[in-house]
Amino acid sequence: MSIAGGTAIRLEEDPELAEQGEIPAFADIVREHQGMVFSLAYHFLHDRGLAEEAAQEVFLELHRHLGTIESRSHLVFWLRKVASRRCIDQIRRRSFWPKLRLDEVPEPAAKPDERDPMLSRALARLVASLPEKARMVVVLRYQEDLGPTEISQILDMPVATVKSHLQRSLDMLRDKLARSVGEIAI
Amino acid sequence: MSYLEDELKKALRRAEPSAGFAERVLARANGPAPAEPSWWERLAVLVRPPRMQWVALSLIVSIMVPVAGVQYRKERQARAEGQRAKEQLVFAVRMAGNRLHRVQQKVLEMGRMDTRL
Repeated sequence: MSIAGGTAIRLEEDPELAEQGEIPAFADIVREHQGMVFSLAYHFLHDRGLAEEAAQEVFLELHRHLGTIESRSHLVFWLRKVASRRCIDQIRRRSFWPKLRLDEVPEPAAKPDERDPMLSRALARLVASLPEKARMVVVLRYQEDLGPTEISQILDMPVATVKSHLQRSLDMLRDKLARSVGEIAI
Repeated sequence: MSYLEDELKKALRRAEPSAGFAERVLARANGPAPAEPSWWERLAVLVRPPRMQWVALSLIVSIMVPVAGVQYRKERQARAEGQRAKEQLVFAVRMAGNRLHRVQQKVLEMGRMDTRL
């Protein structure tokens, strides 16, 4: 049912798991999911170096717990959960540190936004100013396109709390964006 | 989905880590595992001395407090000396004033005696 030592095992015994396919070897897992894990950390921490370090730690933890992974969907859930927890822990540990200036943060390795890079940058900065849990809810919602139920499972919080975090965060972002960017149709 | 939500999706789209990320992870994963701490290392954690910043802070405080105390005492002493000097000066001025007054009286008396003669 699980993989160990980096070799893939077919999940033919369990029809439900078999439907979800074969769990790839560890190297393939890293290559396939590095973008997701790194982006969660990067959008949360706003520092490429810290995000890479956090992402590496997530994969190393996965390497130690490979035996407990049951399926592809469980793998993705596990990675999101551990990445979220690590990022929140890291921010709490660094709470005494001075806040990062966004100007000093290197740009993510993504294609430039042709429509409105200024707006995206302003939004990223505003997202970074949200409280920890609300920030992670927003990142999971809009980076990973997850619904409140999935987010509640990842962050171990009630669905109603996720919804209220989302609603309050959107209100706050709309309000702050209108003030910082000016009169735009949001 | 609102305009704001659309923009959030764009702002928070996935980014890739720097080149060679997977290789670095694999190298760390396949590298030597960190050694398990021995029983005495675990015990040492319990009695670990305070962090360096606390040591530095207590050093600074232990130096600053006596220095500040000495400085305060010096300042109080200087203030008291100044007060004493001020009182002495006032007293001397008063004495000089009295003497001047007496001399003035005598001069006036002598003037009156001269006119009678």
